[in-house]
Amino acid sequence: MNLARAKSIALIGMEATIVEIEAWIGPGLPRTVIVGLPDTALYESRDRCKAAVASTGLAWPGQVVTINLTPATLPKAGSHYDLGIAAAVLAAHRIVSPVLLEDLVILGELGLDGRVHAVRGVLPALICAYRRGITRAVVPASQMREAGLVEGMTVSPVASLADLIALLNGDPTPPVSAAPPEAPEPSAIGDDLSDVIGLRTEKWALEVAAAGRHHLYFHGPPGVGKTLLASRLPTILPDLTVSEALEVASIHSLLEPAAITGLPVRPPYSDPHHTISLAALVGGGARIARPGAVSRAHRGVLFLDEAPEFPAKSLDCLRTPLESGEILLGRSETQVVYPARFQLVLAANPCPCGFAATPGASCGCTPMAIRRYAARISGPILDRIDIHQHITPSRLSLTALYHGGEESSSVVAARVAEARDRQSRRYRGLPWQVNAEVPGGHLHNAMPSPQGIDLLEAAVSRGHLTPRGADKVIRVAWSIADLDANDRPEADHLKAALALRSGEPLPRRHHDQRR
Amino acid sequence: MDRRQQAGREGEEIAARYLEHLGWSVIERNWRHGRDGEIDIVARQPEPAPGGALVICEVKTRRGMGFGSPLEAITVAKVRTLKRLAGAWLAEHPGHWAVVRIDAIGVLVRPGQEPDITHERDVTR
Repeated sequence: MNLARAKSIALIGMEATIVEIEAWIGPGLPRTVIVGLPDTALYESRDRCKAAVASTGLAWPGQVVTINLTPATLPKAGSHYDLGIAAAVLAAHRIVSPVLLEDLVILGELGLDGRVHAVRGVLPALICAYRRGITRAVVPASQMREAGLVEGMTVSPVASLADLIALLNGDPTPPVSAAPPEAPEPSAIGDDLSDVIGLRTEKWALEVAAAGRHHLYFHGPPGVGKTLLASRLPTILPDLTVSEALEVASIHSLLEPAAITGLPVRPPYSDPHHTISLAALVGGGARIARPGAVSRAHRGVLFLDEAPEFPAKSLDCLRTPLESGEILLGRSETQVVYPARFQLVLAANPCPCGFAATPGASCGCTPMAIRRYAARISGPILDRIDIHQHITPSRLSLTALYHGGEESSSVVAARVAEARDRQSRRYRGLPWQVNAEVPGGHLHNAMPSPQGIDLLEAAVSRGHLTPRGADKVIRVAWSIADLDANDRPEADHLKAALALRSGEPLPRRHHDQRR
Repeated sequence: MDRRQQAGREGEEIAARYLEHLGWSVIERNWRHGRDGEIDIVARQPEPAPGGALVICEVKTRRGMGFGSPLEAITVAKVRTLKRLAGAWLAEHPGHWAVVRIDAIGVLVRPGQEPDITHERDVTR
């Protein structure tokens, strides 16, 4: 029989389908055809495979070689089928044994010299393959660590086509293809919260936001430390859990080949410039959409500095992912869903000149200009943000800069981690893990209501707060209570939460709490 | 005659001997038809009986694999030319054939080695 099969994976978004590569060698003048909806990169695979086989010192079959990728109606893209195609052809040609090709998925791009190059999406592809009952995989040697993250999968790394041939022929001494040394986890940004002098209230707001994963909005004049503060948020967030880290690694694996050298520990941080295109922000691209900045920030922080400078349309596109934690992108070929559960941090000036509503500064903007500037962030977006803070210039003298004694990120991170522990104990067995994600129904029915809830009722009845806003205040109150190690929010917690929500100065107790 | 033509002649000689070894009879060699081109070998395959099959053979000779296998040199255009030449040959030669076919024979001639023959039947399919 001159027919052989190998398996590979078609990845569409984060979803994978097992693709069977059939190679048939038949009579006729020598030619090689690939059928089964290949894209250009895949059609060129034929020439890469031929060259790689020749460079390995073997002969490409001198007859008609038909390569079929099934399911034939599924569009297939990319260069990662090379290695599977070469394996199927060599098995049909009886150069390798077809026995081991059963239930083995093969991923890898071939160089003309027979070397195997890294490809995108190894991690999500293998996770899906494992769910479909495949337990053995061949991956490029440089991606051994990434593939090794899939528990239960037996992974064989290959550095060259020759390695694969040896493997498939059950060579007793398979060549040792050393994986590259483990790169150290890029140390979580060198920034530290102790770099920020003063701003005690704002730091505390940042801590509450970190504790309950609440969205955050800083506004104030230029130079008061909005960006400084916001960029310190990742340093006080707790480490990712294993399942979160796998989600994060899967997305980053799609973006760049061989980007994953181990399970990420720290939450990702994405701070796109305001000139970012819509497609780069939410994801996009022709035929099949690719993940954007919102997915890059999944399980981490998306920081939009100078938020009013972002196109209004771009900001409004964040509404759906803010609600659902994922984004659905439809393109000509298919629609894909990418996870996008990020913590949004916005920073903005109050007006074009930046000094409106700042004591002691003079703002030269007309009231209309101020209003227009503020309106660039739409109401629906603002309503989804739990914590608003207006930062005014710190009244500290410059000597305070050398005074030291500011809390470092690690101290705050320890408190945040404790608050998160309380939450994960409270929400054990439920699909959400942090206060910001608790659905309204659960909040009202299954959790004790905070003391002094009549305060909120008054705010709602006076029209100061929407019902959704009231729920958000309750969620923030829970986060404050968690930081205070209380089992139930007290009236003070609720008052502080209400103040954080409306961006007003905090009630006395919380203002003084941190010295 | 340059080296390349010499190799071509040598390959055709080897191919003709190979066909006779198979039990086929060579009817004509190097049949030219004006500017259209040349049929290397016209042969009769005894089966299927009676009458056998008329086989138009294109022979490609190579002295090494540096430029690919001999048969890879036979292009789609060459096959089209062979079809036309086969028609012309039939028009000029009386007789009836139940089967007419075009075969390709690749001959790899390497110094100090037995020639390597690849015979691909019915390449017009």
